[in-house]
Amino acid sequence: MTLSLGRGAVGLLGPNGAGKSTLLRILLGFLAPDKGEGKVLGHDIRRDQALIRRAVGYMPESDCFVAGMDAVTFTSYFGELSGMPRQEAMKRAHEVLFYVGLGESRYRLLDQYSAGMKQRLKLAQALVHDPKILFLDEPTSTLDPHGRTEVLELIRDISTSKDIQVLISSHILADIESICSSVVILNKGKVAAEGRMEDLRAIRYSLYELRVKGDGGPFRLDLEAMGCRVEETEDRIIKVYMPAEGDRMDIFRAASRTGVQLRYFVKSRTSLEDLFAGAVGVD
Amino acid sequence: MAATVRAKGYAHWDGRPVDRRFPWWPITRMGIQLAFRKKRFKLAFAMSFAPAFVFLAGLYISERLEDFQAFFRGSDRLLNITPDYFKIYLTNDSLHFLIVLVLAFAGAGLVADDLKHNSLQLYFARPLRKKDYLLGKMSVVAFFVLIVTALPGLVLLLFKLVFAGSFKFFLDYPWLPLSILGYAALLTVFFAFYILLLSSLSKNSRYVTILVFMTFFFSSILHGILYGIFRLPALALVSIPANLQQTGASLFGQKLPHAFPAVWSFLVLAAACAVSGLVINRKIRSVEVVK
Repeated sequence: MTLSLGRGAVGLLGPNGAGKSTLLRILLGFLAPDKGEGKVLGHDIRRDQALIRRAVGYMPESDCFVAGMDAVTFTSYFGELSGMPRQEAMKRAHEVLFYVGLGESRYRLLDQYSAGMKQRLKLAQALVHDPKILFLDEPTSTLDPHGRTEVLELIRDISTSKDIQVLISSHILADIESICSSVVILNKGKVAAEGRMEDLRAIRYSLYELRVKGDGGPFRLDLEAMGCRVEETEDRIIKVYMPAEGDRMDIFRAASRTGVQLRYFVKSRTSLEDLFAGAVGVD
Repeated sequence: MAATVRAKGYAHWDGRPVDRRFPWWPITRMGIQLAFRKKRFKLAFAMSFAPAFVFLAGLYISERLEDFQAFFRGSDRLLNITPDYFKIYLTNDSLHFLIVLVLAFAGAGLVADDLKHNSLQLYFARPLRKKDYLLGKMSVVAFFVLIVTALPGLVLLLFKLVFAGSFKFFLDYPWLPLSILGYAALLTVFFAFYILLLSSLSKNSRYVTILVFMTFFFSSILHGILYGIFRLPALALVSIPANLQQTGASLFGQKLPHAFPAVWSFLVLAAACAVSGLVINRKIRSVEVVK
Protein backbone atom coordinates (compact mmCIF):
# COMPACT_ATOMS: atom_id res chain seq x y z
CA MET A 1 0.00 0.00 0.00
CA THR A 2 1.01 3.58 -0.56
CA LEU A 3 -0.42 5.99 1.91
CA SER A 4 0.10 9.56 3.01
CA LEU A 5 -1.67 10.75 6.13
CA GLY A 6 -2.32 14.44 6.64
CA ARG A 7 -3.12 16.59 9.64
CA GLY A 8 -6.05 16.36 12.02
CA ALA A 9 -7.84 13.18 12.98
CA VAL A 10 -7.54 10.36 10.49
CA GLY A 11 -9.73 7.29 10.78
CA LEU A 12 -8.41 3.87 9.93
CA LEU A 13 -11.25 1.57 8.97
CA GLY A 14 -11.49 -1.94 7.75
CA PRO A 15 -13.00 -5.32 8.50
CA ASN A 16 -11.25 -7.74 10.86
CA GLY A 17 -7.91 -8.80 9.41
CA ALA A 18 -7.72 -5.80 7.08
CA GLY A 19 -4.39 -4.73 8.57
CA LYS A 20 -5.35 -1.73 10.72
CA SER A 21 -3.49 -2.74 13.87
CA THR A 22 -0.64 -4.13 11.77
CA LEU A 23 -0.24 -0.76 10.07
CA LEU A 24 -0.08 1.01 13.45
CA ARG A 25 2.47 -1.51 14.71
CA ILE A 26 4.61 -1.12 11.61
CA LEU A 27 4.56 2.65 12.01
CA LEU A 28 5.65 2.23 15.63
CA GLY A 29 8.36 -0.26 14.75
CA PHE A 30 6.78 -3.22 16.59
CA LEU A 31 6.67 -5.05 13.31
CA ALA A 32 9.43 -4.87 10.74
CA PRO A 33 8.22 -5.08 7.14
CA ASP A 34 10.45 -7.20 4.93
CA LYS A 35 10.00 -4.70 2.11
CA GLY A 36 8.71 -1.20 1.51
CA GLU A 37 9.44 2.00 3.36
CA GLY A 38 7.68 4.53 5.50
CA LYS A 39 8.20 7.72 7.43
CA VAL A 40 6.51 9.15 10.49
CA LEU A 41 7.08 12.89 10.94
CA GLY A 42 9.97 12.54 8.52
CA HIS A 43 11.63 9.74 10.53
CA ASP A 44 12.32 6.43 8.81
CA ILE A 45 10.30 3.60 10.36
CA ARG A 46 13.22 1.18 10.06
CA ARG A 47 16.10 3.31 11.27
CA ASP A 48 14.64 6.00 13.52
CA GLN A 49 12.36 4.00 15.77
CA ALA A 50 13.52 5.72 18.93
CA LEU A 51 12.77 9.15 17.46
CA ILE A 52 9.37 8.00 16.25
CA ARG A 53 8.46 6.49 19.59
CA ARG A 54 9.47 9.66 21.38
CA ALA A 55 7.10 11.67 19.19
CA VAL A 56 4.23 9.19 19.15
CA GLY A 57 1.72 8.33 21.85
CA TYR A 58 0.29 4.83 21.50
CA MET A 59 -2.93 3.61 23.02
CA PRO A 60 -3.18 -0.14 22.41
CA GLU A 61 -6.44 -1.98 21.92
CA SER A 62 -6.00 -4.55 24.67
CA ASP A 63 -6.11 -3.84 28.38
CA CYS A 64 -2.62 -3.18 29.62
CA PHE A 65 -1.26 -1.94 32.91
CA VAL A 66 1.39 -2.72 35.49
CA ALA A 67 0.09 -4.59 38.52
CA GLY A 68 0.56 -3.02 41.93
CA MET A 69 0.72 0.57 40.69
CA ASP A 70 -1.62 3.50 41.08
CA ALA A 71 -2.49 5.70 38.12
CA VAL A 72 -0.08 8.51 38.98
CA THR A 73 2.87 6.15 39.36
CA PHE A 74 1.91 4.30 36.18
CA THR A 75 1.53 7.41 34.06
CA SER A 76 4.66 9.12 35.36
CA TYR A 77 6.62 5.87 34.95
CA PHE A 78 5.83 5.71 31.25
CA GLY A 79 6.49 9.43 30.94
CA GLU A 80 9.92 8.82 32.39
CA LEU A 81 10.52 5.92 30.01
CA SER A 82 9.61 8.29 27.17
CA GLY A 83 12.51 10.50 28.19
CA MET A 84 10.90 12.93 30.63
CA PRO A 85 12.83 13.94 33.75
CA ARG A 86 11.37 12.21 36.81
CA GLN A 87 9.94 15.28 38.54
CA GLU A 88 8.38 16.62 35.39
CA ALA A 89 6.92 13.24 34.52
CA MET A 90 5.23 13.14 37.91
CA LYS A 91 3.83 16.67 37.56
CA ARG A 92 2.65 15.96 34.05
CA ALA A 93 1.03 12.66 35.13
CA HIS A 94 -1.26 14.57 37.49
CA GLU A 95 -2.21 16.99 34.70
CA VAL A 96 -3.09 14.37 32.10
CA LEU A 97 -4.97 12.24 34.62
CA PHE A 98 -7.15 15.23 35.42
CA TYR A 99 -7.51 15.85 31.70
CA VAL A 100 -8.83 12.35 30.99
CA GLY A 101 -11.12 12.47 34.02
CA LEU A 102 -9.19 10.24 36.42
CA GLY A 103 -8.13 13.05 38.73
CA GLU A 104 -10.19 11.84 41.67
CA SER A 105 -9.07 8.23 41.39
CA ARG A 106 -5.45 8.75 40.50
CA TYR A 107 -4.14 7.18 43.70
CA ARG A 108 -6.26 4.03 43.41
CA LEU A 109 -4.55 0.78 42.48
CA LEU A 110 -5.00 -0.05 38.81
CA ASP A 111 -6.14 -3.57 39.68
CA GLN A 112 -9.33 -1.95 41.00
CA TYR A 113 -10.04 0.12 37.89
CA SER A 114 -13.12 -0.54 35.73
CA ALA A 115 -12.79 -1.18 31.98
CA GLY A 116 -13.71 2.41 31.21
CA MET A 117 -11.16 3.78 33.65
CA LYS A 118 -8.44 1.56 32.17
CA GLN A 119 -9.33 2.90 28.73
CA ARG A 120 -8.85 6.49 29.93
CA LEU A 121 -5.66 5.49 31.69
CA LYS A 122 -4.30 4.15 28.41
CA LEU A 123 -5.09 7.50 26.85
CA ALA A 124 -3.33 9.27 29.72
CA GLN A 125 -0.13 7.24 29.32
CA ALA A 126 -0.22 7.94 25.59
CA LEU A 127 -0.50 11.68 26.24
CA VAL A 128 1.90 12.06 29.15
CA HIS A 129 4.98 12.93 27.09
CA ASP A 130 2.99 15.36 24.92
CA PRO A 131 3.30 13.46 21.63
CA LYS A 132 3.00 15.05 18.22
CA ILE A 133 0.94 12.11 16.96
CA LEU A 134 -1.44 9.82 18.79
CA PHE A 135 -2.06 6.28 17.55
CA LEU A 136 -5.32 5.08 19.04
CA ASP A 137 -6.21 1.45 18.49
CA GLU A 138 -9.93 0.88 19.09
CA PRO A 139 -10.13 3.62 21.75
CA THR A 140 -13.81 3.13 22.54
CA SER A 141 -14.21 -0.61 22.09
CA THR A 142 -14.85 -1.54 25.74
CA LEU A 143 -16.77 1.55 26.79
CA ASP A 144 -20.44 2.04 27.59
CA PRO A 145 -22.26 4.71 25.54
CA HIS A 146 -21.65 7.44 28.12
CA GLY A 147 -17.96 6.62 28.47
CA ARG A 148 -17.66 6.42 24.70
CA THR A 149 -19.07 9.90 24.29
CA GLU A 150 -16.64 11.27 26.86
CA VAL A 151 -13.59 9.65 25.31
CA LEU A 152 -14.66 10.80 21.85
CA GLU A 153 -14.99 14.32 23.21
CA LEU A 154 -11.43 14.10 24.54
CA ILE A 155 -10.10 12.84 21.22
CA ARG A 156 -11.95 15.58 19.35
CA ASP A 157 -10.52 18.18 21.73
CA ILE A 158 -6.99 16.81 21.27
CA SER A 159 -7.18 16.65 17.50
CA THR A 160 -8.91 19.97 16.89
CA SER A 161 -7.54 22.36 19.49
CA LYS A 162 -4.26 20.91 20.68
CA ASP A 163 -2.28 20.56 17.49
CA ILE A 164 -1.85 16.83 17.95
CA GLN A 165 -2.41 14.59 14.96
CA VAL A 166 -4.54 11.57 15.72
CA LEU A 167 -4.69 8.28 13.85
CA ILE A 168 -7.61 6.20 15.05
CA SER A 169 -8.14 2.59 14.19
CA SER A 170 -11.69 1.56 14.87
CA HIS A 171 -14.43 -0.73 13.69
CA ILE A 172 -17.10 1.61 15.10
CA LEU A 173 -17.97 3.66 12.05
CA ALA A 174 -19.99 6.22 13.98
CA ASP A 175 -16.92 7.09 16.09
CA ILE A 176 -14.79 7.72 13.03
CA GLU A 177 -17.56 9.66 11.35
CA SER A 178 -18.02 11.92 14.35
CA ILE A 179 -14.38 12.90 14.94
CA CYS A 180 -12.33 12.30 11.82
CA SER A 181 -11.82 14.71 8.98
CA SER A 182 -10.35 12.07 6.72
CA VAL A 183 -10.40 8.33 6.52
CA VAL A 184 -8.40 5.42 5.19
CA ILE A 185 -10.30 2.25 4.48
CA LEU A 186 -8.20 -0.90 4.42
CA ASN A 187 -9.23 -4.24 3.02
CA LYS A 188 -7.04 -7.35 2.92
CA GLY A 189 -3.90 -5.32 3.52
CA LYS A 190 -4.61 -2.85 0.74
CA VAL A 191 -6.00 0.67 0.69
CA ALA A 192 -9.61 0.40 -0.52
CA ALA A 193 -10.38 4.11 -0.18
CA GLU A 194 -8.56 7.13 1.16
CA GLY A 195 -9.16 10.85 1.46
CA ARG A 196 -11.21 13.56 3.09
CA MET A 197 -14.57 12.30 4.19
CA GLU A 198 -16.44 14.89 2.11
CA ASP A 199 -14.44 14.14 -1.02
CA LEU A 200 -14.92 10.42 -0.67
CA ARG A 201 -18.62 10.83 -0.23
CA ALA A 202 -18.87 13.03 -3.28
CA ILE A 203 -16.71 11.39 -5.87
CA ARG A 204 -17.08 7.69 -5.54
CA TYR A 205 -20.75 7.13 -6.12
CA SER A 206 -24.25 8.50 -5.59
CA LEU A 207 -26.63 6.82 -3.21
CA TYR A 208 -30.34 6.56 -4.00
CA GLU A 209 -32.96 5.08 -1.76
CA LEU A 210 -36.13 3.70 -3.34
CA ARG A 211 -39.14 1.53 -2.75
CA VAL A 212 -40.74 -0.48 -5.53
CA LYS A 213 -43.97 -2.36 -6.17
CA GLY A 214 -43.71 -5.54 -8.17
CA ASP A 215 -41.05 -8.22 -8.59
CA GLY A 216 -37.81 -6.51 -7.53
CA GLY A 217 -35.55 -9.40 -8.57
CA PRO A 218 -35.13 -8.59 -12.29
CA PHE A 219 -34.95 -4.88 -11.41
CA ARG A 220 -32.02 -5.48 -9.06
CA LEU A 221 -30.25 -7.62 -11.63
CA ASP A 222 -30.71 -4.90 -14.23
CA LEU A 223 -29.23 -2.28 -11.89
CA GLU A 224 -26.29 -4.52 -11.03
CA ALA A 225 -25.67 -5.08 -14.73
CA MET A 226 -25.27 -1.30 -15.01
CA GLY A 227 -22.50 -1.39 -12.39
CA CYS A 228 -24.62 -0.35 -9.40
CA ARG A 229 -24.35 -1.95 -6.02
CA VAL A 230 -27.79 -2.76 -4.64
CA GLU A 231 -28.80 -3.51 -1.05
CA GLU A 232 -32.17 -3.99 0.58
CA THR A 233 -32.77 -2.91 4.18
CA GLU A 234 -35.01 -4.64 6.69
CA ASP A 235 -37.81 -2.13 6.02
CA ARG A 236 -37.66 -3.01 2.30
CA ILE A 237 -35.90 0.15 1.17
CA ILE A 238 -33.58 -0.52 -1.74
CA LYS A 239 -30.24 1.33 -1.59
CA VAL A 240 -28.61 1.84 -4.96
CA TYR A 241 -24.94 2.89 -5.02
CA MET A 242 -24.51 4.33 -8.48
CA PRO A 243 -21.03 4.93 -9.93
CA ALA A 244 -20.09 8.59 -10.27
CA GLU A 245 -20.42 8.43 -14.07
CA GLY A 246 -23.93 6.90 -13.88
CA ASP A 247 -27.18 8.69 -14.68
CA ARG A 248 -30.07 8.49 -12.23
CA MET A 249 -32.51 8.28 -15.12
CA ASP A 250 -31.06 4.82 -15.76
CA ILE A 251 -32.82 3.69 -12.58
CA PHE A 252 -36.18 4.80 -13.99
CA ARG A 253 -35.39 3.15 -17.31
CA ALA A 254 -34.52 -0.11 -15.54
CA ALA A 255 -37.79 0.05 -13.62
CA SER A 256 -39.68 0.55 -16.85
CA ARG A 257 -37.86 -2.32 -18.54
CA THR A 258 -38.52 -4.78 -15.71
CA GLY A 259 -42.09 -3.66 -15.08
CA VAL A 260 -41.87 -2.40 -11.51
CA GLN A 261 -43.38 0.76 -10.12
CA LEU A 262 -41.16 3.20 -8.28
CA ARG A 263 -43.13 4.32 -5.20
CA TYR A 264 -40.36 6.20 -3.44
CA PHE A 265 -37.15 7.73 -4.78
CA VAL A 266 -34.71 9.98 -2.95
CA LYS A 267 -31.06 10.88 -3.36
CA SER A 268 -29.44 10.15 -0.02
CA ARG A 269 -26.33 11.51 1.67
CA THR A 270 -23.78 8.73 1.90
CA SER A 271 -22.83 7.81 5.43
CA LEU A 272 -19.46 6.38 6.36
CA GLU A 273 -21.18 3.05 6.62
CA ASP A 274 -22.22 3.31 2.98
CA LEU A 275 -18.75 4.43 2.03
CA PHE A 276 -17.25 1.52 3.93
CA ALA A 277 -19.65 -0.96 2.38
CA GLY A 278 -18.98 0.43 -1.07
CA ALA A 279 -15.20 0.34 -0.66
CA VAL A 280 -14.85 -2.97 1.09
CA GLY A 281 -17.69 -4.71 -0.64
CA VAL A 282 -19.46 -5.95 2.47
CA ASP A 283 -22.84 -5.14 4.01
CA MET B 1 -16.03 14.31 33.40
CA ALA B 2 -16.62 16.79 30.64
CA ALA B 3 -16.57 19.56 33.21
CA THR B 4 -13.28 18.23 34.55
CA VAL B 5 -11.79 18.18 31.09
CA ARG B 6 -12.84 21.70 30.38
CA ALA B 7 -11.82 22.92 33.83
CA LYS B 8 -8.31 21.50 33.64
CA GLY B 9 -7.79 21.52 29.90
CA TYR B 10 -4.86 20.04 28.04
CA ALA B 11 -1.59 21.89 28.16
CA HIS B 12 1.46 21.04 26.12
CA TRP B 13 4.56 20.01 28.03
CA ASP B 14 7.15 22.72 27.67
CA GLY B 15 10.12 20.61 28.78
CA ARG B 16 12.62 18.72 26.66
CA PRO B 17 13.10 14.95 26.71
CA VAL B 18 16.44 13.81 28.07
CA ASP B 19 18.75 11.18 26.62
CA ARG B 20 19.42 8.89 29.55
CA ARG B 21 22.76 7.17 29.78
CA PHE B 22 20.99 4.23 31.36
CA PRO B 23 17.47 4.15 29.89
CA TRP B 24 16.76 0.97 31.86
CA TRP B 25 17.21 2.64 35.23
CA PRO B 26 13.52 3.69 35.71
CA ILE B 27 12.54 0.03 35.15
CA THR B 28 14.99 -1.11 37.82
CA ARG B 29 13.93 1.54 40.29
CA MET B 30 10.26 0.72 39.77
CA GLY B 31 10.91 -3.03 40.11
CA ILE B 32 12.63 -2.46 43.46
CA GLN B 33 9.87 -0.12 44.67
CA LEU B 34 7.13 -2.57 43.68
CA ALA B 35 8.90 -5.39 45.53
CA PHE B 36 8.93 -3.38 48.75
CA ARG B 37 5.15 -2.90 48.49
CA LYS B 38 4.68 -6.61 49.19
CA LYS B 39 4.46 -7.55 52.86
CA ARG B 40 5.74 -11.11 52.36
CA PHE B 41 8.72 -9.77 50.46
CA LYS B 42 9.63 -7.37 53.26
CA LEU B 43 9.62 -10.26 55.74
CA ALA B 44 11.77 -12.44 53.45
CA PHE B 45 14.14 -9.55 52.80
CA ALA B 46 14.60 -8.90 56.51
CA MET B 47 15.17 -12.61 57.14
CA SER B 48 17.84 -12.76 54.45
CA PHE B 49 20.19 -10.79 56.71
CA ALA B 50 19.90 -13.31 59.55
CA PRO B 51 22.93 -15.38 58.40
CA ALA B 52 25.00 -12.20 58.23
CA PHE B 53 24.19 -11.40 61.86
CA VAL B 54 25.06 -14.95 62.94
CA PHE B 55 28.41 -14.74 61.12
CA LEU B 56 28.99 -11.27 62.56
CA ALA B 57 28.47 -12.71 66.04
CA GLY B 58 30.96 -15.45 65.11
CA LEU B 59 33.52 -12.82 64.14
CA TYR B 60 33.08 -11.00 67.43
CA ILE B 61 33.38 -14.16 69.45
CA SER B 62 36.50 -15.22 67.54
CA GLU B 63 38.23 -12.00 68.54
CA ARG B 64 37.06 -12.25 72.14
CA LEU B 65 37.55 -15.98 72.48
CA GLU B 66 39.03 -15.76 75.95
CA ASP B 67 35.78 -14.13 77.16
CA PHE B 68 33.78 -17.07 75.86
CA GLN B 69 36.04 -19.97 76.79
CA ALA B 70 33.39 -21.44 79.04
CA PHE B 71 30.99 -21.75 76.11
CA PHE B 72 33.37 -22.72 73.34
CA ARG B 73 35.86 -25.07 74.97
CA GLY B 74 37.84 -26.77 72.23
CA SER B 75 36.30 -24.65 69.49
CA ASP B 76 39.46 -22.79 68.53
CA ARG B 77 39.47 -24.39 65.11
CA LEU B 78 35.85 -23.51 64.49
CA LEU B 79 36.34 -19.87 65.26
CA ASN B 80 39.70 -19.53 63.58
CA ILE B 81 38.73 -16.96 60.94
CA THR B 82 40.13 -17.69 57.49
CA PRO B 83 38.81 -17.02 53.96
CA ASP B 84 36.90 -20.28 54.41
CA TYR B 85 34.71 -18.50 56.96
CA PHE B 86 33.59 -16.02 54.28
CA LYS B 87 33.18 -18.80 51.75
CA ILE B 88 30.93 -20.66 54.17
CA TYR B 89 28.84 -17.53 54.66
CA LEU B 90 28.33 -17.03 50.92
CA THR B 91 27.88 -20.66 49.86
CA ASN B 92 25.86 -22.10 52.72
CA ASP B 93 22.49 -23.61 51.92
CA SER B 94 20.57 -21.31 54.22
CA LEU B 95 21.81 -18.19 52.39
CA HIS B 96 20.98 -19.78 49.03
CA PHE B 97 17.51 -20.59 50.34
CA LEU B 98 17.01 -17.01 51.51
CA ILE B 99 18.23 -15.61 48.17
CA VAL B 100 15.74 -17.84 46.36
CA LEU B 101 13.03 -16.77 48.81
CA VAL B 102 13.73 -13.07 48.27
CA LEU B 103 13.86 -13.47 44.50
CA ALA B 104 10.71 -15.60 44.42
CA PHE B 105 8.79 -12.66 45.87
CA ALA B 106 10.68 -9.84 44.16
CA GLY B 107 11.38 -11.39 40.78
CA ALA B 108 8.66 -13.88 39.90
CA GLY B 109 6.41 -11.19 38.44
CA LEU B 110 9.12 -9.19 36.71
CA VAL B 111 8.24 -10.46 33.25
CA ALA B 112 5.24 -12.67 34.07
CA ASP B 113 3.14 -9.69 35.18
CA ASP B 114 4.04 -7.74 32.05
CA LEU B 115 2.98 -10.70 29.93
CA LYS B 116 -0.21 -11.16 31.92
CA HIS B 117 -1.24 -7.51 31.71
CA ASN B 118 -0.02 -6.93 28.11
CA SER B 119 2.29 -4.15 29.20
CA LEU B 120 5.23 -5.12 26.97
CA GLN B 121 3.66 -3.07 24.17
CA LEU B 122 3.62 -0.03 26.45
CA TYR B 123 7.34 -0.42 27.16
CA PHE B 124 8.25 -0.90 23.52
CA ALA B 125 6.10 2.04 22.41
CA ARG B 126 8.74 4.08 24.26
CA PRO B 127 12.25 4.76 23.00
CA LEU B 128 13.47 1.57 24.69
CA ARG B 129 15.27 -1.37 23.12
CA LYS B 130 14.73 -4.92 24.19
CA LYS B 131 18.13 -4.96 25.87
CA ASP B 132 17.12 -1.89 27.93
CA TYR B 133 14.00 -3.68 29.09
CA LEU B 134 15.91 -6.85 29.98
CA LEU B 135 18.74 -4.95 31.65
CA GLY B 136 16.18 -3.04 33.71
CA LYS B 137 14.54 -6.26 34.88
CA MET B 138 17.83 -8.08 35.48
CA SER B 139 19.13 -5.17 37.51
CA VAL B 140 16.26 -5.66 39.95
CA VAL B 141 17.49 -9.21 40.56
CA ALA B 142 21.08 -7.98 40.70
CA PHE B 143 20.19 -5.39 43.32
CA PHE B 144 18.67 -7.93 45.68
CA VAL B 145 21.35 -10.58 45.17
CA LEU B 146 24.17 -8.12 45.73
CA ILE B 147 22.52 -6.61 48.77
CA VAL B 148 22.31 -9.98 50.53
CA THR B 149 25.70 -11.30 49.38
CA ALA B 150 28.32 -8.71 48.43
CA LEU B 151 27.23 -6.08 50.93
CA PRO B 152 27.17 -8.32 54.03
CA GLY B 153 30.32 -10.12 52.80
CA LEU B 154 32.29 -6.88 52.63
CA VAL B 155 30.78 -5.60 55.87
CA LEU B 156 31.81 -8.84 57.62
CA LEU B 157 35.35 -8.34 56.33
CA LEU B 158 35.32 -4.77 57.60
CA PHE B 159 34.08 -5.87 61.01
CA LYS B 160 36.76 -8.54 61.15
CA LEU B 161 39.37 -5.77 60.77
CA VAL B 162 37.59 -3.54 63.30
CA PHE B 163 37.27 -6.32 65.90
CA ALA B 164 40.90 -7.37 65.33
CA GLY B 165 42.08 -3.77 65.53
CA SER B 166 44.62 -4.34 62.78
CA PHE B 167 44.93 -4.84 59.02
CA LYS B 168 46.88 -8.07 59.41
CA PHE B 169 43.99 -10.24 58.17
CA PHE B 170 43.59 -8.07 55.09
CA LEU B 171 47.33 -8.10 54.41
CA ASP B 172 47.36 -11.91 54.78
CA TYR B 173 44.48 -12.31 52.30
CA PRO B 174 44.42 -9.21 50.08
CA TRP B 175 42.45 -11.06 47.39
CA LEU B 176 39.54 -11.80 49.73
CA PRO B 177 37.41 -8.72 48.79
CA LEU B 178 37.79 -9.70 45.15
CA SER B 179 36.67 -13.25 45.92
CA ILE B 180 33.62 -11.93 47.75
CA LEU B 181 32.77 -9.59 44.88
CA GLY B 182 33.54 -12.25 42.26
CA TYR B 183 31.30 -14.86 43.84
CA ALA B 184 28.55 -12.28 44.43
CA ALA B 185 28.82 -11.31 40.75
CA LEU B 186 28.57 -14.95 39.71
CA LEU B 187 25.45 -15.41 41.87
CA THR B 188 24.02 -12.19 40.42
CA VAL B 189 24.50 -13.21 36.80
CA PHE B 190 23.20 -16.72 37.38
CA PHE B 191 20.12 -15.67 39.35
CA ALA B 192 19.35 -12.81 36.92
CA PHE B 193 19.10 -15.29 34.04
CA TYR B 194 17.42 -17.92 36.20
CA ILE B 195 14.67 -15.65 37.50
CA LEU B 196 14.03 -13.92 34.17
CA LEU B 197 13.87 -17.25 32.38
CA LEU B 198 11.26 -18.66 34.73
CA SER B 199 9.37 -15.36 34.87
CA SER B 200 9.10 -15.30 31.09
CA LEU B 201 7.73 -18.85 30.92
CA SER B 202 4.36 -18.11 32.49
CA LYS B 203 1.87 -15.29 32.79
CA ASN B 204 1.06 -16.35 36.34
CA SER B 205 3.58 -15.08 38.88
CA ARG B 206 2.39 -17.63 41.46
CA TYR B 207 3.34 -20.48 39.18
CA VAL B 208 6.67 -18.76 38.63
CA THR B 209 7.22 -18.52 42.40
CA ILE B 210 6.63 -22.26 42.70
CA LEU B 211 8.90 -22.90 39.69
CA VAL B 212 11.70 -20.83 41.22
CA PHE B 213 11.69 -23.01 44.35
CA MET B 214 10.97 -26.30 42.61
CA THR B 215 13.72 -26.00 40.00
CA PHE B 216 16.35 -24.92 42.50
CA PHE B 217 15.66 -27.58 45.11
CA PHE B 218 14.51 -30.33 42.77
CA SER B 219 17.92 -30.22 41.10
CA SER B 220 19.46 -30.92 44.50
CA ILE B 221 17.04 -33.77 45.19
CA LEU B 222 17.75 -35.21 41.75
CA HIS B 223 21.45 -35.10 42.51
CA GLY B 224 20.87 -36.96 45.77
CA ILE B 225 18.83 -39.67 44.03
CA LEU B 226 21.28 -40.10 41.16
CA TYR B 227 24.27 -40.11 43.49
CA GLY B 228 22.55 -42.75 45.66
CA ILE B 229 22.21 -44.98 42.58
CA PHE B 230 25.41 -44.37 40.62
CA ARG B 231 27.83 -43.02 43.26
CA LEU B 232 29.46 -40.71 40.71
CA PRO B 233 30.72 -37.34 42.08
CA ALA B 234 30.20 -35.68 38.68
CA LEU B 235 26.45 -36.13 39.09
CA ALA B 236 26.58 -33.06 41.33
CA LEU B 237 26.66 -31.12 38.06
CA VAL B 238 22.86 -31.54 37.83
CA SER B 239 22.41 -29.68 41.13
CA ILE B 240 22.27 -25.88 41.07
CA PRO B 241 23.32 -25.46 44.75
CA ALA B 242 26.17 -27.97 44.28
CA ASN B 243 27.50 -26.07 41.26
CA LEU B 244 27.28 -22.79 43.16
CA GLN B 245 29.17 -24.31 46.09
CA GLN B 246 31.81 -25.77 43.80
CA THR B 247 32.42 -22.45 42.04
CA GLY B 248 32.36 -20.62 45.38
CA ALA B 249 35.03 -22.88 46.84
CA SER B 250 37.12 -22.35 43.72
CA LEU B 251 36.85 -18.55 43.88
CA PHE B 252 37.83 -18.52 47.56
CA GLY B 253 40.74 -20.92 46.94
CA GLN B 254 39.29 -23.54 49.30
CA LYS B 255 38.97 -27.31 49.07
CA LEU B 256 36.35 -28.25 46.50
CA PRO B 257 33.28 -29.98 48.00
CA HIS B 258 32.91 -32.32 44.99
CA ALA B 259 35.55 -34.45 43.34
CA PHE B 260 35.59 -32.93 39.87
CA PRO B 261 37.23 -29.78 38.44
CA ALA B 262 35.51 -26.50 39.35
CA VAL B 263 35.67 -25.43 35.73
CA TRP B 264 32.97 -27.99 34.94
CA SER B 265 30.61 -26.20 37.31
CA PHE B 266 31.53 -22.85 35.78
CA LEU B 267 30.70 -24.28 32.37
CA VAL B 268 27.39 -25.75 33.54
CA LEU B 269 26.34 -22.41 35.02
CA ALA B 270 27.49 -20.55 31.90
CA ALA B 271 25.55 -22.96 29.69
CA ALA B 272 22.45 -22.52 31.86
CA CYS B 273 22.76 -18.74 31.48
CA ALA B 274 23.27 -19.02 27.71
CA VAL B 275 20.22 -21.25 27.25
CA SER B 276 18.19 -18.93 29.50
CA GLY B 277 19.30 -15.96 27.42
CA LEU B 278 18.16 -17.65 24.23
CA VAL B 279 14.77 -18.55 25.67
CA ILE B 280 14.25 -15.07 27.15
CA ASN B 281 15.18 -13.56 23.80
CA ARG B 282 12.53 -15.66 22.08
CA LYS B 283 9.84 -15.07 24.69
CA ILE B 284 10.19 -11.30 24.82
CA ARG B 285 9.69 -9.76 21.44
CA SER B 286 9.75 -6.08 20.78
CA VAL B 287 9.87 -6.40 16.99
CA GLU B 288 8.51 -9.10 14.74
CA VAL B 289 8.96 -9.42 11.02
CA VAL B 290 5.90 -9.27 8.82
CA LYS B 291 6.07 -11.59 5.86
